[in-house]
Amino acid sequence: MMTTKEKLITHVLAGEPVGSRSKVTVVGVGMVGMASAVSVLLKDLCDELCLIDVMEDKLKGEVMDLQHGSLFCKTHKIVGDKDYSTTAHSKVVVVTAGARQQEGESRLNLVQRNVNIFKFIIPQIVKYSPNAILLVVSNPVDILTYVAWKLSGFPRHRVIGSGTNLDSGRFRHLMGEKLHLHPSSCHGWIIGEHGDSSVPVWSGVNVAGVSLKGLNPDMGTDADKEDWKHVHKMVVNGAYEVIKLKGYTSWAIGLSVADLVESILKNLHKVHPVSTLVKGMHGVKEEVFLSVPCVLGNSGLTDIIHMTLKPEEEKQLSNSAETLWGVQKELTL
Amino acid sequence: MSSVMQKLITPMASGPAEPPRNKDLADELALVDVMEDKLKGEMMDLQHGSLFLKTSKIVADKDYAVTANSRIVVVTAGVRQQEGESRLNLVQRNVNIFKHIIPQIVKHSPNCTLIVVSNPVDVLTYVTWKLSGLPKHRVIGSGTNLDSARFRFLMAERLGIHATSFNGWVLGEHGDTSVPVWSGVSVAGVNLQKLNPEFGLDGDKEDWKATHKEVVDSAYEVIKLKGYTNWAIGLSVADLTESIIKNMSRIHPVSTMVKDMYGIGEEVFLSLPCVLNSNGVGSVINMTLTDAEVGQLKKSADTLWGIQKDLKDV
Repeated sequence: MMTTKEKLITHVLAGEPVGSRSKVTVVGVGMVGMASAVSVLLKDLCDELCLIDVMEDKLKGEVMDLQHGSLFCKTHKIVGDKDYSTTAHSKVVVVTAGARQQEGESRLNLVQRNVNIFKFIIPQIVKYSPNAILLVVSNPVDILTYVAWKLSGFPRHRVIGSGTNLDSGRFRHLMGEKLHLHPSSCHGWIIGEHGDSSVPVWSGVNVAGVSLKGLNPDMGTDADKEDWKHVHKMVVNGAYEVIKLKGYTSWAIGLSVADLVESILKNLHKVHPVSTLVKGMHGVKEEVFLSVPCVLGNSGLTDIIHMTLKPEEEKQLSNSAETLWGVQKELTL
Repeated sequence: MSSVMQKLITPMASGPAEPPRNKDLADELALVDVMEDKLKGEMMDLQHGSLFLKTSKIVADKDYAVTANSRIVVVTAGVRQQEGESRLNLVQRNVNIFKHIIPQIVKHSPNCTLIVVSNPVDVLTYVTWKLSGLPKHRVIGSGTNLDSARFRFLMAERLGIHATSFNGWVLGEHGDTSVPVWSGVSVAGVNLQKLNPEFGLDGDKEDWKATHKEVVDSAYEVIKLKGYTNWAIGLSVADLTESIIKNMSRIHPVSTMVKDMYGIGEEVFLSLPCVLNSNGVGSVINMTLTDAEVGQLKKSADTLWGIQKDLKDV
C-alpha cells in the first residue's frame, strides 16, 4: 500500500545526494552566537547552518526556533548537536564559545578561562572540518585567534579573528552621525587590538576621497576643537556601555560576523580590518595577531594591505603586540 | 451569478489600497519600553551595526513621542507564558498593560496599522481594537501566521521539500485549538487529502494529524528548552510587515474581526486568510471549510468571547 509521499513524489536521483556546498557552523549559542547565526541566515549565505554547544536543551530549543522560521528563509538545513560530528564539512566555523566580559571587566581578563574551553573545542572542529576557515569571535579575540591558530595547526590564512571589523563599524556609524551621512560613505579604519588600545588611523579617514585630516589638521589630537578623538573613545567604550545597559552586546557583532562570512563564502576579495598574524609588520617582533586591513575570499585571508602609518601609530601597534605577547607567553596551550 | 473572485474574496477596507509613497518604506525604526537601560542598550547595539544595515534611523525612548508618524506599530509588550502556562491565563495581566500602551500609540500615529503579537493574541487584538478606536482593517493579530509556518515546515520535512512548496493553512485561534484545514493542503496543486482520504483524520495510518499536534506543542517545547521563543515569531512578524509596507496584497493567516462570518455572532478576532496591503487587511478569503472545521471556529469564538466579556475596562 503506497504512502501519501510515494503517491505524490517519485524519487529520480540515482545515488547519494551531493550534500551541502556552503556549510557554516556557529560554536556557542549564547547571545553572540545566535545573533551571528540569525544574521547569516537573514543574508542567505549558507545552505546548511549548524549550531554547537554543551548546553543541550538550550541548543535544541534554539535549533527548533530557527527551524520554525524556515518558511521565511532560504537555508534548508538547520541542525545542531553537542556532538561535533554534526559540524563535518563546514566551510566556515564561527567560534563564539567562552565566557563573556562582566560589567567593567576588560577583555584580557577572560583569557585563561577561554583558553581552556578552546583546548576542547578547536581539535574537534579540526577533526571534522580539516579544510574549514576558522573565524574567532570570543574575547580577547586577538589572543584567542593566536590560540586557535596554535591549537588547530591550520595555516595562518585560515584562522581569522573578527578583530576590529566591529570597532571600525562603530567608528563609521559615529562618523556618519557626526556628518549626517550613511556609515557606508564614511571611511575610517580602526586597527590593532580589538579593545582598549585599538588604533584609529586618522590619516585615512575620508569621505569621497577627501581626507578629513587634510581639512582639519588637528583631527585626532587633543587640540582638536571638534574633538574627533572622543569619537574613538566612544568606540572603545561602546561595548562597555551596551553591556552596562543591556547586559551584553549581540546585534552589532552578529551583523559584523555575517559581513565577514559573506566576503569569505562569496569569494568577494573585500578588504576588512580583521585579526591576523602581524609578526614582521609595523615593527612587531612577536608572534601575535592584530587587526590590519586584509583581503578575504573563499581561500580565507589571502593578502594584507600595508597601511602607511605615522610613527605614533606604529608605536601603538608594537606596544599592543608587547602587551598581548606578555599575556600569551604565560598561557599553557 | 457571483464570479469566482466575488465568492473567494470579501472586501474589508473601503476603497482601493493607497499606493505607497517613498516615505512609507521602513526608513526609521523606533523602539519603546519601560525598562530604560535595557531599551537604550538595545538601541545602541543596533545602531553600532548600522554600517551593515539599510535602515538609517534607529531611535528609542520611554516617551511615546518617539513613535510619532509610524506606518506600522508592532506590539510585543506584556508578560509571556511561563512553562506550562496557557496563553489564555495571561489575559488580564496583559489587558492592564495595553490600557497604558494603546492610547499612546494611537495619539502619536493615528494613521498606523497595528500588528499585535502579545499573547493571547486573538483576545489582545480585540482589546487593542477596542482601546484604539481604529477601524478593524488596521488592527491585525499575528495570529496563526506562525502556526502555519511551523505546520508547513514540519509537513514539508516529512516530504523532503522546502516549506514554501508545501501549501497548508492553520486558522482560527493561535494556540491549542488552532484549525488545520486538511482539505486545503496541497503540493504542486496536488491535493493531499485526495491522494489519501484518511489525511488528517484519527484513523490515518501515517498519522498526519500528529504533525498538527506537533505545531500546537512546539511553542511549549521551545519554551521548555530555551526559556522563550523569539526567532520564528520575529521572522513571521517581518513577513507581515513586508506585505503591508510594500503594498503586496499577499495572503496571510492573521487574526481579524470575524463577526458575521461562519455564523459567528460575537465580536471576536480569529485567524483567517487575509489579503494584506498598505491599507492593512484589504480583504478576507472565504475558505471552503468542512462542517467540522466551521464547528471548531465557532467553538473557539465562544471560548474567546467567554473571556472577553469578563474583561475590565476595555
